[in-house]
Order: sequence, then structure tokens, then C-alpha cells
Amino acid sequence: MSNKYIALPKGISEKTFDSAIADFRSVLGDAAVFTSAQQLAPYIKTMMPVPDSDHTPSAALMATTVEEIQKIVGICNRYKIPIWTISTGKNLGYGAAAPAERGQVVLDLKRMNRILEVDKDLAYALVEPGVTYKQLYDYIAEHKLGLWLSMPAPSAIAGPVGNTLDRGVGYTPYGEHFLFACGMEVVLANGEVLRTGMGSMPNSNTWQVFKWGYGPYLDGIFTQSNYGIVTKFGFWLMPAPPAFKPFVIQYEDEEDIVEIVEIIRPLRISGVIPNAVVIAHALYEAPVKARRSDYVTGPGSIPDAAVRKLAKDHHLGIWNVYAALYGTPEQNEVNWKIVTQAFSKSGKAKILTEREAGDDPAFKYRASLMRGDMTLQEFSLYNWRGGGGSMWFAPVSQARGSETLKQMALTKQILAKYGLDYSGEFIVGMRDMHHIVDVLYDKTDPGQVKAAYQCFDELLTVFSAQGYGTYRVNTAFMDKVAETYGPVQRQVHKTLKKALDPNGILAPGKSGIH
Amino acid sequence: MRKTKSVRTVTALMLSISVIAAMTADIACATAETNTEKGFRWRNGAEVYSKVCSYCHESQVGPRLFGRELPPEYIRTIVRNGSRAMPPFRPSEIDDESLARLAEYIQRN
Ligand SMILES: Cc1cc2nc3c(=O)[nH]c(=O)nc-3n(C[C@H](O)[C@H](O)[C@H](O)COP(=O)(O)OP(=O)(O)OC[C@H]3O[C@@H](n4cnc5c(N)ncnc54)[C@H](O)[C@@H]3O)c2cc1C
Ligand code: HEC
Repeated sequence: MSNKYIALPKGISEKTFDSAIADFRSVLGDAAVFTSAQQLAPYIKTMMPVPDSDHTPSAALMATTVEEIQKIVGICNRYKIPIWTISTGKNLGYGAAAPAERGQVVLDLKRMNRILEVDKDLAYALVEPGVTYKQLYDYIAEHKLGLWLSMPAPSAIAGPVGNTLDRGVGYTPYGEHFLFACGMEVVLANGEVLRTGMGSMPNSNTWQVFKWGYGPYLDGIFTQSNYGIVTKFGFWLMPAPPAFKPFVIQYEDEEDIVEIVEIIRPLRISGVIPNAVVIAHALYEAPVKARRSDYVTGPGSIPDAAVRKLAKDHHLGIWNVYAALYGTPEQNEVNWKIVTQAFSKSGKAKILTEREAGDDPAFKYRASLMRGDMTLQEFSLYNWRGGGGSMWFAPVSQARGSETLKQMALTKQILAKYGLDYSGEFIVGMRDMHHIVDVLYDKTDPGQVKAAYQCFDELLTVFSAQGYGTYRVNTAFMDKVAETYGPVQRQVHKTLKKALDPNGILAPGKSGIH
Repeated sequence: MRKTKSVRTVTALMLSISVIAAMTADIACATAETNTEKGFRWRNGAEVYSKVCSYCHESQVGPRLFGRELPPEYIRTIVRNGSRAMPPFRPSEIDDESLARLAEYIQRN
């Protein structure tokens, strides 16, 4: 085993790796190639219940230009070195900045961070991979462009390219991010540079305004995949509405999710409520306000009675529906009437606006997310159990009340079996709901690590047996999820991989594609 | 302003010489557009703190860092390695020099 490197790519000798590293250095300079344990430390920590050594990189490369990346893939092809590309590298709960497999070289594009264009009139942006939401937010504010971002909860420290390429979600009307992507530049494994859609045509000025181009639509195959390295990315921004009215609707019983979803769905599909609504369980919001240890001690999941007490103490519903209206004050007034009428019928809902809940810390951060303002408040989740263990369990559900209740109950039951809490929410969809559960555990406690692993495995097994597929998963479980989608899809993915990357140098293992 | 080409953040791409200047005088870097040197620099420790750390450390997600005279070496180690619920930050996000100044800034405040 090597002393020079903290890990080596699978099947690559130290000697071969020496040559590859020397070549990387000649392209990027010594300062942009990391191999020491100290330099690689920030690429190693994950929140998954597997040893960090399973995902330890052999090196990290910081490229800033397309030409450098073309040369890097050339070197990788020559020596058969696998590279794992990250943009802002904050895929927390999905594998962070660490590669899928031990020994892969991380290609870190954080420093490739130019905002190439923001068009105020057509409301779009074209950016490089390292641009953070915070950077773009400040740029838009500085230039008074009057455009809003849609971002995931890690807002300030994450970025639109990595988030959208992993098909992430946000909370404004543009919350299903990939729907609003428009045009990519991709370095292919053979070093060629593809611009998707209208970008393929020389002198076209419609790259960021028309998604489809001509012929098969290709952008999709570069998301959640390992078919290319995205180096430019276009997406649409929302013009700031004249008025914004965030609100929360609270319900007191878990079974009420049925009523909530049945009321929300038609409002969402018809556009009365335009944004990616969140239906958050009390345990998802609780960490912002309360400490777990004040309500439960010892092993096991938190009992329902404690959750009810906690919700009461901290002015939370058992379900908390966060949504907003965007438009002129008159439009919002009309829609507000429709919303309040719909939710008032059963007498179970408690409807709160900024006036009543404006100072509430949970309401505040939710309102920020729904208008694309920076906040990292949701990281409070990590204090619930402490110890930095987290995996997102993310099955897709129909936006149908009975289905969401069934998924919630099933998840909660499996979590409880392993002593874990249901920190769950349903988000986004018009016709679907991303059911998002933070499987929180203490990574410093070997017992909880083992339980969390087995629990997650069982969640995937049981859900797929019921026909519930997962939309995204951490790097320890990608093969398992790929299996659940059946052999034909897997074979097609493989065929594409062979055609586009015959040496298998790009992110082997991503989405179970090797 | 309709469109703007090739804008790096003011924090990106500062010559190391202007880093020294920025330490004595708190000037923003206006040369981002013409500067082609590689690298990533923040204006000063306060900027990194307010644009990154403060979102967690001023909102009760992480413990307060000010007023505790935390040793810079400790701060640097936590930032690079992460610690339990605290995610690590890479040199591509916060370069070594900026991190050193951030750590001093936190210790001083
Ligand atoms: C408290 C908390 C809340 C969260 N809330 C949300 C949420 O609301 N919505 C959400 O979507 N996520 C959420 N996340 C998960 C995650 O942190 C975000 O999705 C985050 O945006 C992903 O990190 P990133 O943007 O830095 O992307 P990166 O880590 O840079 O990229 C993500 C993945 O995309 C691929 N990729 C990246 N760049 C390229 C490229 N240039 N070419 C090809 N492939 C590439 C790689 O596979 C990479 O692993 C949350 C996490 C935490 C801890
Ligand atoms: C996403 C939220 C988040 C961000 C951003 C963040 N931290 Fe933290 N930090 C935490 C949390 C949570 C802890 C407590 C970790 C634990 O013990 O579980 C912590 C702990 C720390 C500690 C240890 C404190 C102690 O009492 O020993 C230091 C030092 C620290 N952070 C520095 C920083 C610096 C500097 C930055 C900015 C570069 C930063 N953090 C950004 C969440 C964050």
C-alpha cells in the first residue's frame, strides 16, 4: 500500500498514478493539485453511515477553464483514471464533496466561478459551475436586476449548477429547478465540447431562451449522470413580483395530511398557489426551536405524545403547510380568498400570515426560502440528534392524500424500528410530492451508525417493493436504487455510458452507472 | 444594465498584492474584470465570516464564535475537517490565506 497517497484509484498502481499526477500538475500547476491528507481533509467528511475511508479521494484537481478540463480528460483517458466532478461541492446528506468510490480523483470546479451573463429583460442567467447562490444573489442585488433566485435550503453555500445537475429543488414558483434549466455546455469524455439545444448553432442568441433545440433533447442525460462535465449552465430567473404573501397553515393530526394534500393539489395544478409548497412535519421544524433532549431521553424514537407536547409548546402544527402568493396586491387578494375558503371548510386548519407569525423563527426561514433569500437555518436539523449523521430518504409520491399518509406511516414505522425519528416533509410537486425525510443519527455512536445503515436499506427495499421509487440518493446507496428501476433502464444507461465514455473515466458509480 | 460578460465576484481573482493592500486599507477590488490571474481571494476575514459562517453561527445552528478567544489553529482545523454537524470548507471555497485572516478575525472579536 502506498504511503505517498492516501488512496489510489481502483486498479491503478502507484507508479501509474505518479505519472498521471505529474501530468495534472503540468496542466494546472502544483498549487491546484492536492494529494496530501491535510489538503484532502475537506473532501473526506460525509454524513453517511459508512466509513469515510470508503469514499476517500486519491487527489483533488482545481480547474478553472474548459481547456484545462479538456486536457484533464485526456490524461484520465491515457491512464484510465476516474474523476468525480463537483461544482460547489455541498451535496450534504447525499455524499458531500467525496467521490462515489474510494480512490477517485475529485475534479473541483468551485474556482470556475464566473457569472457570464444575467439578462434582466429575458430573466435568465448563464453561469460557471463554481458560482454560489450567494454570489449570484449579491450580483443581482448590486446591479438592481429585480430577479429572484430559487434555491435549496443550503442556499448561501451551494450553487445552481451542482444543485440542478442533481435535480434538486427549491421553494419559489421555480422550485423544480431542472424545469427551468435552459442550455448547457458540456465537456465530453473524448474532450469535445457540446453546447446543448440552441447553443450548438454558431452565432445563435437563443441558447438560454429555448430549451429544446433540434432533434433529441440532450440536457436530461447530463443530470444525475456521468456522461459529461458541465462547464456552463443556463437557467431562468423569476422577475421579482410586486407583492409576496407567505403563509403557514397548521394542522394538529398526522392523518390530516390527507385533507391537506386534497386541498392543495387543485390549487397547485391550477396555479392559484404557484410555488413549491412544503408540508413539514413538526419534527422537521422542531430543531429550529427546541432541543430533543428536553422531550425525550434514552434510546428509541421520540414518542407521539412528546411530539404533540413539543408542537404545542412551540406553536407548531403536527403538519405545517408553507406556501406563498406572488403577484400584484390585487391578484394576491383574490387568490388569498380562494385559499382561505378552501382551507376553512373543515374547521381543522389554523391559517397564519406574516402578521401573526412574522417573528416565529420557523416561519421566518421558510418565508426566506420562498422568496429566494439566503438562510442556513434549516441546518438546525443537525442539532436534533447531534453527531453529524444524515441521509436524505427521498421517495416520490403521488399528490394524493391517501398516498402521502401511507408513505408517512410506512416511513415512520420503519424508522421507529431502528430508534430513529420521522423528520419528514412533502415538497414541490403539482402532481407529485417529493417526500423528503432526513434520516438523522449520531455518527459518533457506532450503534446508531449501524442502525441508520440498516434502516435506510430497509426503507429502500420496502418502498421499492410497493412501487415507490426514490428520486435521488446518497453515494453509498446508488447501486441499490438503480436496481429498483429495473434491468432495461439500467442497460440503456450502460449503453449510453459505453458510447460516450468508453474508458469509464467520468464519475463511475454515479446513479449506479459504471 | 442589460447584460454583463465575464464578471467574477470581487472576492475572486485578487492579486496577492492587493490582498496585502486590503489588509491595511479596506478597499474593494475593482479589477476583477481584467485580472486573469488564477486564484480565489476574499477581501478580508470579516467578509468570509458574514457571507458564510454567520448564517449558521449567528442563528443558533452553530455555537457563537465571538468573544471566546478561540485559537486560530483550532478554527482552521475545524473549518478544513468539519466536526460532527459542522461541514468542512475546501481551499477552493476559502483559500488558506483568507482562512488565516478569518481565524484571526474571529479570535479578535
Ligand atoms: C439542511 C439541508 C437542507 C437541504 N435542503 C435541500 C433542498 O431544499 N433542496 C435540495 O435539492 N437539496 C437540499 N439539500 C441537499 C444538498 O445540500 C443540495 O442539493 C446542494 O445544492 C447540493 O450541493 P451543491 O449545490 O454544492 O452541488 P454539488 O455538490 O457541486 O453537485 C452535486 C452533484 O452533481 C454532480 N455534478 C456537480 N457538478 C457537476 C458538473 N459540473 N458536471 C457534471 N456533474 C456535476 C455530481 O454528481 C455532484 O455530486 C439539503 C442539505 C442540507 C444539509
Ligand atoms: C451550515 C452551518 C455552518 C456553517 C456555514 C459554518 N458552521 Fe461552524 N459549526 C456549525 C455547527 C452545527 C457546529 C457545531 C458542530 C458540532 O459540535 O456538532 C459548528 C462548530 C464550529 C466550530 C467549533 C466551535 C466550538 O465551540 O468548539 C468552529 C470553530 C466553527 N464552527 C467555525 C466556523 C467557521 C469559521 C465558519 C465559516 C467559514 C463556519 N464555522 C461555518 C455549523 C456551521
